[in-house]
Amino acid sequence: MKRLQIAIESTTLANGLKVVIAPDTAAPVVTVGVYYKIGFRLEPRGRSGFAHLFEHMMFQGSANAPKMQHIKLINSSGGVLNGSTHYDVTNYYQAVPSNALERVLWLEADRMRALKVDDENLRNQRDVVKEEVRVNVLNQPYGGFPWLDLPPVAFRNWANSHNFYGDFSDLDAADLADVQAFCKTYYVPNNAVLLMLGDLKPEEGFALAKKLYADIPAGAPPPFADPAEPEQNEERRGEVEEKFGTLPAMAIGYVVPKRRTTDWCAMALLDQALHGGRAGKLYRELVLEKQVAVELDGGIEDIFGYNGPTQMVTRILHKPEYSSEQALAAFDEVIREIQDNGVSEDELAQLKVKWQSDYFSLLESGHGGMPRYGLMHLLACFTLFDGEPQLVNTVLDGFLSVTRDEILAAANKYLRKEKRAIVFRRPAAAGVKEAA
Amino acid sequence: MATRAVEVNNAVPALAPERQVTWPKRQRARLSNGLEVILVESHTIPKFHGELFFRSGNAAAIDRGTGLAEMTATVVRTGTAKRASRQIEEDLRRIGADLSSSAGADTSAISFAGLSDFAEPLLGMVDELARQAAFPEAEFERERRQKLEEVKLERTQPGFLAGERLRKVLFGAHPYAQVSPSEEQVAAYKRDDLLGVYRDFYTPENALLLLVGDFQPDAMLKAAEKVFGAWQGKKPETKPSAAPAKPRGRRVYLVHLPGAVQTQILAGCHAITRKHPDWVKLGLTNSLYGGAFNSRLVMNIREDKGYTYSPRSGVNAFRQHGYFSVSAAVRNDVVAASLTEIFYEMDKLRSVPVPESELADAQNYLSGIFSMGLATQNGLLSQIAVVALNELPEDYLETYRQKVRALTPGDLLETARKYLDSANMQIVIVGDRVQIESQAALFGELEVFDAQGKKLS
Repeated sequence: MKRLQIAIESTTLANGLKVVIAPDTAAPVVTVGVYYKIGFRLEPRGRSGFAHLFEHMMFQGSANAPKMQHIKLINSSGGVLNGSTHYDVTNYYQAVPSNALERVLWLEADRMRALKVDDENLRNQRDVVKEEVRVNVLNQPYGGFPWLDLPPVAFRNWANSHNFYGDFSDLDAADLADVQAFCKTYYVPNNAVLLMLGDLKPEEGFALAKKLYADIPAGAPPPFADPAEPEQNEERRGEVEEKFGTLPAMAIGYVVPKRRTTDWCAMALLDQALHGGRAGKLYRELVLEKQVAVELDGGIEDIFGYNGPTQMVTRILHKPEYSSEQALAAFDEVIREIQDNGVSEDELAQLKVKWQSDYFSLLESGHGGMPRYGLMHLLACFTLFDGEPQLVNTVLDGFLSVTRDEILAAANKYLRKEKRAIVFRRPAAAGVKEAA
Repeated sequence: MATRAVEVNNAVPALAPERQVTWPKRQRARLSNGLEVILVESHTIPKFHGELFFRSGNAAAIDRGTGLAEMTATVVRTGTAKRASRQIEEDLRRIGADLSSSAGADTSAISFAGLSDFAEPLLGMVDELARQAAFPEAEFERERRQKLEEVKLERTQPGFLAGERLRKVLFGAHPYAQVSPSEEQVAAYKRDDLLGVYRDFYTPENALLLLVGDFQPDAMLKAAEKVFGAWQGKKPETKPSAAPAKPRGRRVYLVHLPGAVQTQILAGCHAITRKHPDWVKLGLTNSLYGGAFNSRLVMNIREDKGYTYSPRSGVNAFRQHGYFSVSAAVRNDVVAASLTEIFYEMDKLRSVPVPESELADAQNYLSGIFSMGLATQNGLLSQIAVVALNELPEDYLETYRQKVRALTPGDLLETARKYLDSANMQIVIVGDRVQIESQAALFGELEVFDAQGKKLS
């Protein structure tokens, strides 16, 4: 089958900033990203939601580009921009016509060097973030389900189990001193990677990186609080009330094996077998055949983009005429079947073709009108977590060499009740009675 | 505050000379059976993306049932004369393909993407679904019951409730007023109705096949002729609907959602289709008003006042009509304050010419983002679909940027006066009436509905 070879060049500046360039002249557009190796997992205790609030503060002004200027300069160059906070990274990215490359690099350098924000900016963005939480979580049916509901049930280490969007009391408690301390600790060149993708020459990109970033002083190596979880030996269950939705829901999460191991690759194909769209065993059984569920989806989210404990999660909205235990029993039957029989040779071949096809799409996938977001994200995570951006071209091999035996073994080793957590989200109005 | 002047620092690097934007060649063809095909090369990944459009959607099926084209599209993928549902899904996976079928107001479509190595089998599947869908009774029944749960569920989403009410208010008796079926309407769907829609809409003369990706166009066209060539069928007859009356005067429609901790605002007025000569002007006016991060509305109610996370305005075009709308999900205690700013920014654009520098910024923005689509197969596909489905001029993509750059402050003032029709905006707010009714009533005569659409007062 046709392979994809992406041209990648990388270097590290004296201050520790990593620079990765993937040239491609298909369109006169460049995507520029800066990833910092800090996400909501390791935000300070008592400051839940702070990593995300801080992300908003990064758009509030820097020494030479006061509030609104960064946004104005990107938009008026013909580009788009955004940022997002993840478990273990926070990213800032923009796609612009390639004649704005230096301007974008200058803006990112300015806020890496000297963020300049005040109390008014913080108050303003705290209000904005609260409306973000309301529109995405508090005022939406199944808002935050299950990404905010499952961690507190599944994990014991605060790093993995707290409210990542933030309790409003914690958001209110955050002050400018927190902003400055967080910035000084984590937003340093030696904790970041700068990425340039698209219409540029590598030598041009490296020269600009040196010119604009080399004089940003390195910081102390950021502390890395180990987010490891104690061994889980019992099924964990929790309940959350659903305020608006009409259907009972549940989410089941299994701990995923260590990143970049054979088991991890096997788990990824197992995920494809279970959650791969309408051909996936779970959708086929619960939605199409038994017709217990109305919606079912899931998987290992952002499989390359995390650096700590994570889960493979199945999200189910089921018909109210079935109890939660009945729906769960239907789910368990599928799990038992794959533990007994694994996947057939033919099925494994299908899974690999689809995995490869999905991987290509992931590399090309955009985000909010931003081309090459997916490739940028993988390059960044492989650089920050593995020190190996070239993995983009080779990581596929591990998945394509998984055997039937490895899948069978993974199903029996990892899809165990004592390795899972379940959250039931029950509609308040519909009066679903039975208890978990 | 609106546009607070921002001094641009001298240190900001200037833009390098603009690089040329070259749109790829579109190869157009008509197969022997009348099927129109457009092919475009894009070698970003070893895959291709395609869409088989039918120029009839939910609006064209409205007399037979609300949402019937959508239901038909849903059941299309559940079985053919040759393959049962399970086989279809496995065969798609076998060739690494994704496929979905859906219908909007004006079109029905089968959308697909797959590996270039398996182009022909994927086209074969699309042909089979378009031509030999079997509508198995049991599959239809399951999908109908699924749909019943879905239509209940969507009535709990503030965004859905706002959009649905606005469309009703703007389009009245026109089919565009119907966003989604009621439970009763879904319960009344018959398999025969779906078969009728399928027979009439899914024909080669009514279709447009778009293919974008990593292939040689000549070889791909040959494959398309081989696969689709034997398919026959006429264009369906179309019955024009009477133009909807423009609502006069500001009115407020409150959809009561007990316990809501935020209020969804959505206001709109009639605008234009994409074919209209003012389309580019309105696009630029919109991007200045609330269509970009850097726009006046976002800077005002988000970055200055912190009322909302997600304010946005947009121009929404159907084939026959269009509307302009502005939305924001705001804190309950600032509903009136937000509406005041929404109208302030609209009225300002209607009364004060836009400064030249702000106009230039917006022109750069719009022409810049227009080219982003070039970078991915999907982006190209959607740009090309817009041109083809709306029957825009052949050189639309090539000339868009210069049309944007030719506009003047006077053009924008005129456009804002014409289409940002602040005196006749219809205002929908979705939230807890106890907290927001008195604020809402300040902006016009008020009607209150529940989430099921029943009028409360």
